[in-house]
Amino acid sequence: MIGDVFNWLTDPSHWTSTAFDTGIWDQLLAHIGFTLIALAISLVIALPLGLWIGHTGKATWIISVANAARALPTVGVLVLLVVIIAPHFYGRTNNGYLIPTEIVLVLLAVPPILSNTYAGVQNVEPSVRDAAFGMGMTGPQVLFRVELPNSLPLIFSGFRSATLQVIATATIAAYVTLGGLGRFIYDGLAQQDYPQMISGGLLVAALALIADLLLALVQRYTVSRGITGRTRRQDRGSRGPDSRTAVLTEELVSEAT
Amino acid sequence: MKTKLVALAAVATALTMGVSGCGSSSSSSGSKGDGTIASQMIFGGPPEFKTRPDGIPGLKKNYDVSFGKYTVTDVGGPVTVNALKRGQVDAADLFTTDPSIAANDFVILEDPKSNFAAQNVVPIITKSKATDGVKQVINGIQGKLTTEVLGGLLGKVVNDKADPADVAKGFLSDNGLDTTGTAAKGQSLTVGSANFPENVILGEIYAQALEAQGATISKKMNIGARPKYWESLKQGSIDLFPEYTGSILVYIDKNSTATSPDDVYAALGKALPSNLVALDQADAQDSDAIVVTKETADKFKLKTIADLAKKG
Amino acid sequence: MTALIPLASASSSPWHFFAYFMDNTSKVLGLLWAHTWLSVVPVVIALILALPLGWLARRYQWAYPPMMSLTGLLYTIPSIALFVLVPPILGLDPLSPLQVPIALTLYSLALLVRVVADGLAAVPQETAQAATALGYKPLGLFFRVELPIAVPVIAAGLRVAVVANVSIVTVAGTIGFKNLGQLFDEGFKLSTDTPYYPPIVLGIILCVLLALALDGLVLLGSRMLTPWRRAVRA
Repeated sequence: MIGDVFNWLTDPSHWTSTAFDTGIWDQLLAHIGFTLIALAISLVIALPLGLWIGHTGKATWIISVANAARALPTVGVLVLLVVIIAPHFYGRTNNGYLIPTEIVLVLLAVPPILSNTYAGVQNVEPSVRDAAFGMGMTGPQVLFRVELPNSLPLIFSGFRSATLQVIATATIAAYVTLGGLGRFIYDGLAQQDYPQMISGGLLVAALALIADLLLALVQRYTVSRGITGRTRRQDRGSRGPDSRTAVLTEELVSEAT
Repeated sequence: MKTKLVALAAVATALTMGVSGCGSSSSSSGSKGDGTIASQMIFGGPPEFKTRPDGIPGLKKNYDVSFGKYTVTDVGGPVTVNALKRGQVDAADLFTTDPSIAANDFVILEDPKSNFAAQNVVPIITKSKATDGVKQVINGIQGKLTTEVLGGLLGKVVNDKADPADVAKGFLSDNGLDTTGTAAKGQSLTVGSANFPENVILGEIYAQALEAQGATISKKMNIGARPKYWESLKQGSIDLFPEYTGSILVYIDKNSTATSPDDVYAALGKALPSNLVALDQADAQDSDAIVVTKETADKFKLKTIADLAKKG
Repeated sequence: MTALIPLASASSSPWHFFAYFMDNTSKVLGLLWAHTWLSVVPVVIALILALPLGWLARRYQWAYPPMMSLTGLLYTIPSIALFVLVPPILGLDPLSPLQVPIALTLYSLALLVRVVADGLAAVPQETAQAATALGYKPLGLFFRVELPIAVPVIAAGLRVAVVANVSIVTVAGTIGFKNLGQLFDEGFKLSTDTPYYPPIVLGIILCVLLALALDGLVLLGSRMLTPWRRAVRA
């Protein structure tokens, strides 16, 4: 079986597209496309909102609502949105399926980014904040020069967690006719082509790992050394390629202790 | 710090713009452009139709039809119907009993060369469970199942949203097949079905009739597609399953060439593993069909699958 | 043919989910029960396995990085892939009812090993030292000092695992396993001409309620196991 999977993955014809079969490169691009669109939209929504709520302390119920949204069953929401939205599109377009898929992915990505951004700003020590105000900084200055840099490690953790979830979940795009690496999983299952199916799963896992490693690198070079050196627990969380669980526990530890 | 963030955001946005075009297409373009009607068309069907002997390879072999593109939809379900209805695809693989074909005025293209083998409803049963009494009960049902009857039952579930178990019950009582008796007394069987409404109805019909005749029944309805349940049937964790002669034959024997109902049924009898046996096949057929919208059929004057290979 | 009695659930309005429930009560309750079972049991098994593994990762520094990398890797595998991969790897019947609980146990384990390790790490060193000085042996120290102190963190991890499971289980519903996910599949398959909302909406509502109920139960259990926290607050 392992040999078959290896052969499937190393067969050059599986990497390029023909009129009928979309190859690995194109499905990989499609998968990255779904992921980036969802993450970009989620960042635009969650980052300013999280900073604002953390800075002002207003409307904290939004954080609770976002966290409660994690209880929504992904597949159910996808099916519901598809039967609502898809009938409104006619002609040669996938938008009837693309839009529901992106909404579902955004719903997945917003809660971790939002709650981590909020928690990051909240966790800035009051004395640091007071000192900044004491130096004569205005509210926005405190937010962008003090609170934001200080909360970057947690924001990054949230973003990495969101990225992993979106990459893993973007496979369900294939459930509603779209492309992406999930196509190999669903097609392999239907065609009894198990090497294809397993390869699909491996490719998604590999993409998730590489994305997380890249984000870890970016984090290393954007987060101030003064911050990473000071809080040891966060430093350990940002080291391995396994931030999905790291993030969760970090949130939990800060919540519970 | 701020500039770094801005730069990051810019990179992310640029990447998003760059790939969003690719993200929305599920299959790449690249028509051969040989000028046939089919080459200008997008075909919609389940994943396995791409590779099945009577799928795309069969259409090419029997009719020299090759479509320009293939979009993976679902197994004759709402995604395929809606893709065809709304113009996402031009031709699709649907099942002949599907009530939405008539409801949407779709046109079934004739299949004069029998690319699609006969697909009569046939119960596959574990040999050790196929006692005379069980056979008598099931074959009695098979005698009453015609394509029209099956289509009617399916319509009740798909259009009227009735519960498949109730529809099965109605069918049995209408045909006097629900009389209680002892024909299957002492037998215990696990009845399964795939996860599309028609198959669930058939599974329910078999299960309820056997139960009325004294058998102990456990149901495993709505199991996924064939790869998921076939192993269980072979290993005996499921005893009875409603199948379709052509599909199950090709599934077991990829090189089978039989197409007429009797040939397929005979070949199936030989191809089945020794612990399984096929009971009587019903008149009812639920075959794959190449379907187009009425507008498409009128525009290109399509009547048979062969017409798709004409220059358009 | 006798006409079937028109069912209340034949209405496709999203607000008729309750009528759908009344018409299909026993079926829906069966799915709900199966869903509950699938959401809870794997987490419990995972917790039992995670306690010694988390302790190992905490006790032996060298064990921590590889264990965390392995569990992190496991979490990146999409659930649909893991469901179909488990039977061939373990040599199970492809329809074995065990494949979904096994896959879910692996996911929960990946999360909980880290939670247990980090929860134990959060125990103040002075506390552990004081307990040792009082004569606690390693096993007693673990069960009677470290573990109780780590309960809030572990409980928070359990809440995340349970809520995530409720959602992941629905994915298995779309490939034929009995749980609330089948309601989505059914609604999708019957949405040919017009959307057929009732089973979809009912499925979402029941999933959310189940997630909230299980979440509340874990929270309650954690409160009961840590009476001292309440005392401090009051």
